[in-house]
Amino acid sequence: MKKRGRGMACMWYPIGFTVAANPSAATVKVNTDGTATLLTGTVETGQGALTVLGQIAAEALGIATDDVHVVSADTDTTPMDTGAIASRTTYVTGNAVIKAAEQAREILFEAAAPMLNVKPEQLEARDRKIQVLGFPQQYKTIGEVAHHSEIVIGRPAIGSGSYNPPTVEMDPETGQGKPFSTYVYATQIADVEVDDETGEVEVLRIVAAHDCGTPINPMLVEGQIQGGISMGVGFALQEEILFKDGKQVNPNLTNYIMPTSLDMPELEVEMVDNYDPTGPFGAKGAGEPTAVPTAAAIMNAIYDAVGVRITSLPATSEKVLSAILEQKAA
Amino acid sequence: MATKTKEVLESKVKDSEIEDLTAPDNLKVPAKPALKPVVVPVDKPVVYPLDLPESEIRLRTPAVGQRASRPDGRLHGLGQTQYIDDMTFPHMIFAKILRSEHAHAKILSIDTSEAETMPGVLATLTGAEIPVNSFGPTLQDQPVLANEIVRHAGDGVAAVAALTEQQASDALSKIKVKYKPLPAVFDPLEAIKDDAPKVHAPRSNIYASKTIKKGDVEKALKKSDQVFHKQFKTQMVEHVPLEPHSSVAMWDANGRVTIYSSLGRITLGRDDLARTLGKPMNKIRLVGTIVGGNFGGKNEITTEPILAILSKKTGRPVKGTFTRGDEFISSTTRHPFVMDYTTGVKKDGQILGRKIRLVLDGGSYCSWTSTTLGKGGILAAGPYDIANLLVEAHAVYTNKTTTGAMRGFGAPQVCFAYESHMDDMAHALGIDPLEMRLRNAFNEGSVSPTGQLLQSVAIKESLQQAAERFGWKESTK
Repeated sequence: MKKRGRGMACMWYPIGFTVAANPSAATVKVNTDGTATLLTGTVETGQGALTVLGQIAAEALGIATDDVHVVSADTDTTPMDTGAIASRTTYVTGNAVIKAAEQAREILFEAAAPMLNVKPEQLEARDRKIQVLGFPQQYKTIGEVAHHSEIVIGRPAIGSGSYNPPTVEMDPETGQGKPFSTYVYATQIADVEVDDETGEVEVLRIVAAHDCGTPINPMLVEGQIQGGISMGVGFALQEEILFKDGKQVNPNLTNYIMPTSLDMPELEVEMVDNYDPTGPFGAKGAGEPTAVPTAAAIMNAIYDAVGVRITSLPATSEKVLSAILEQKAA
Repeated sequence: MATKTKEVLESKVKDSEIEDLTAPDNLKVPAKPALKPVVVPVDKPVVYPLDLPESEIRLRTPAVGQRASRPDGRLHGLGQTQYIDDMTFPHMIFAKILRSEHAHAKILSIDTSEAETMPGVLATLTGAEIPVNSFGPTLQDQPVLANEIVRHAGDGVAAVAALTEQQASDALSKIKVKYKPLPAVFDPLEAIKDDAPKVHAPRSNIYASKTIKKGDVEKALKKSDQVFHKQFKTQMVEHVPLEPHSSVAMWDANGRVTIYSSLGRITLGRDDLARTLGKPMNKIRLVGTIVGGNFGGKNEITTEPILAILSKKTGRPVKGTFTRGDEFISSTTRHPFVMDYTTGVKKDGQILGRKIRLVLDGGSYCSWTSTTLGKGGILAAGPYDIANLLVEAHAVYTNKTTTGAMRGFGAPQVCFAYESHMDDMAHALGIDPLEMRLRNAFNEGSVSPTGQLLQSVAIKESLQQAAERFGWKESTK
C-alpha cells in the first residue's frame, strides 16, 4: 500500500571560505555612450554569476542590466578572483564590483558637478542619468557625462576595487572564532509517498523557503533552488558510487542513477525577505545551500509515512523495504 | 561551386548506393536497415535569428531585483555556446591518460616505448617528466601523474598524445606498467585504526582534525531529561556535470603557454600551473569559458599540466577531454561521512547539550577535505542555539576515489544527521517537528558554535514561511 508522509528540514550555510582569505577584484570601464564593461576573473559555471555581477555593476552606475557587458575568466586580462566556489560570487565578487563601479562613478560625479553647478556629493546616478539629489529634473545623461569626462577633460571613467570577507582565526583547541562573514538559512518540506510492499519512495512535492539576503535576480535564485533540490533528491534516494575491492563498479550513467525530470517532484520555491548590510545591495548567496536540506526532509517524510528511520543514504527501495520488514518483525 | 557540391552530395544519397556504403559484407549485419545519412544542405548554413527582440527586463532601471534573463541563455538555446570540447585549433592533437587498476601499489616501472611506435602517436608522458609533480589546494599530496605509488584505482600513471582520440586510446594499452600491490584500506573506520595500512606512509591516515567546544557538554547531558544517540552515514557521490573536464593547451615558441580550461577558478589554477610547470605566472595564460556544470568538481587542476607539457613536446595544441568514466574514477567526489550524534534535551524540547563525532572518508588525496571538515564541523550542530557543544571531526585517507569540494562542503551530510535526529527527538517527546525547531532555532544575535554573533538570521522566518506554504498545520494526520 502506498503511504503518504511529510517531513521538514532546515539548515544554515556560510558564504565564502572558512577563515582563509578569499578575495575578489573587479574593474569597471564606462564607455563614452554610458554603457559599461565589467572585468571579472570569476567563471560562469552555469549559475548565472555573470548576469548577477552585471546587474550589480549596473545598479551602482545607475544603468540597466543590458548596458553592462561582462568580460570574464582570462588571466591575461581580468583581475584576480578566488573563483566560483563556496557560494561566494554574489557576495564577495559582488562587493568588489560595487567598489569598482563606485570608483568609476566618482569620476563621473566629478566631471558632472561643474556641468550641473553642484558639488560631486550632491549627485546620484539613476535611470542612466547623473542627477542632482532631490532635483531629478537637473541632470545630464551618463553618456554625456562619460563622454565629457573622457573626451573633453581627458579622464576616462574607470574604476577598480577588491573585497575580502572579514573573518577571525579559529582557536585550534576550541574552534572559537569568526570563520565566516555571514550565513544563509533555509527550510525545505517534502511530501512523499512510500510503497510499503516495495520500499519505493516517490517525492510528490517539495516546498522550499530560502534566505539569500536580498536577491539580485530572483529568477536565477529560483533556478538555483530548483537545481539544488534535484541534486538533493539524487543524494537522498538514488546516487551512490559502489566499490568492489577498491574499484568503482558503476562509473557510468547506466548504473549510477541520477534523477531526471520524471523523478522530480512538484516544486514550490520562495525567498525569505531579508537584507544583509554587509552584502552587495543586501545580498548574500544562493548556490550550495539549495542542495543541503533536501535529503533530510525526504528522510523525515519517509519516517512520517511508514515509521522507519533511514540512517544511511541513499534510501533505495531495497533499504527502505528491509527497514519496513525489520520493523514488522520486531 | 556550392550548388555543384550539393548536386554531388545529393547524387550520392541514392538508396542503392547507401546500402553499399553502410553495410559492407565484412560487417555482416544486413538484417539491420541501413541508416539514412543526414544530408547537410551545403549551400544553406544553419540559420539562427539575429533580430530577436531585446529583453525588456534587461533594459529596466534599477537593475537589481530584476528577473533579468542571461545573455548566455540565447546562445545555449541556439547551440552557439562554445564549450572547450567544441574548440578546435590548427594541427590540434588529443591526449589520453592511462589509469591505475590497483587501489594501492608501488610502481616498479613504466615502459612507454611500444606505445610511442603506435600509429598517430606523437608523444608520451610520465610523472618523472613533470617539473613539480604534485598539487592540491591545501596539502600538495597528489601527483599530476603518479610515478612512485598509486593510491586509488583511477590515479593517472602515463599520458599519450596522438593525432586522434582513438589512436591515443589505442596506444594506452601498449604502455607497460609493473606494479607491486600494497595492502589497501577502504573503510574510514578501519583506516582510523593504528594498524591499518598507511595510504601516505609513514604519515598517519588521519590527516586533518577539527574540534569545536562550547560550554560543558558532559554536565549538560547529565542535566537533561532525555539523551538521544544515533549514528548516521552517507555515501560517495559524483558531481556529474553535463560537460566533462576538458582543456586545450598550446605552448608557443616564446615559451608562453595558453590553456583553455573548464576550471571554475582560474586565478588559483594559474598558480597551480606555474608551480607544477616551474614557470613564471606571466608565461601562463589560463582562459575559462562557459562551464557546463561545476558543483565543486572543477575547482582544481586535473590534466592541464599534462597537456601543456605534451604541447611543448609536440609543438601542437593538445586537447584532453574526460570520458564519463574518467569523470567518475579520477575526478573528485563527495565525502562519505560517519556521524555520531548524542543530544540531551529537556522535556519541553530545549536542547541542552550536543556531542558530535564526524569521520570523513577523505579518499586517496586531501583535495578540499580540510574545507569540508571545517565547514562540516562548524555546521554540524545545526542552526540551533545550543549552549553546550562538543564537535570532534577527523578526515581519514582511504584507497578510494579522491573526495573533494562538492556543493555544500559537508553540509548536506551533517544536515541529514542533525535534522533526522531532530525529528526522532520531537517524536519521542511528542512535540510537533516545526515547534521543536522553532524552540531551538537561532535568533538575530544568537551566538554560533564558534562564538560568532550572528546577523541577518532568518531561520525562524524560513521555517514559518515554508510551513505556511506547505500547509503544515492543516496537513497534520
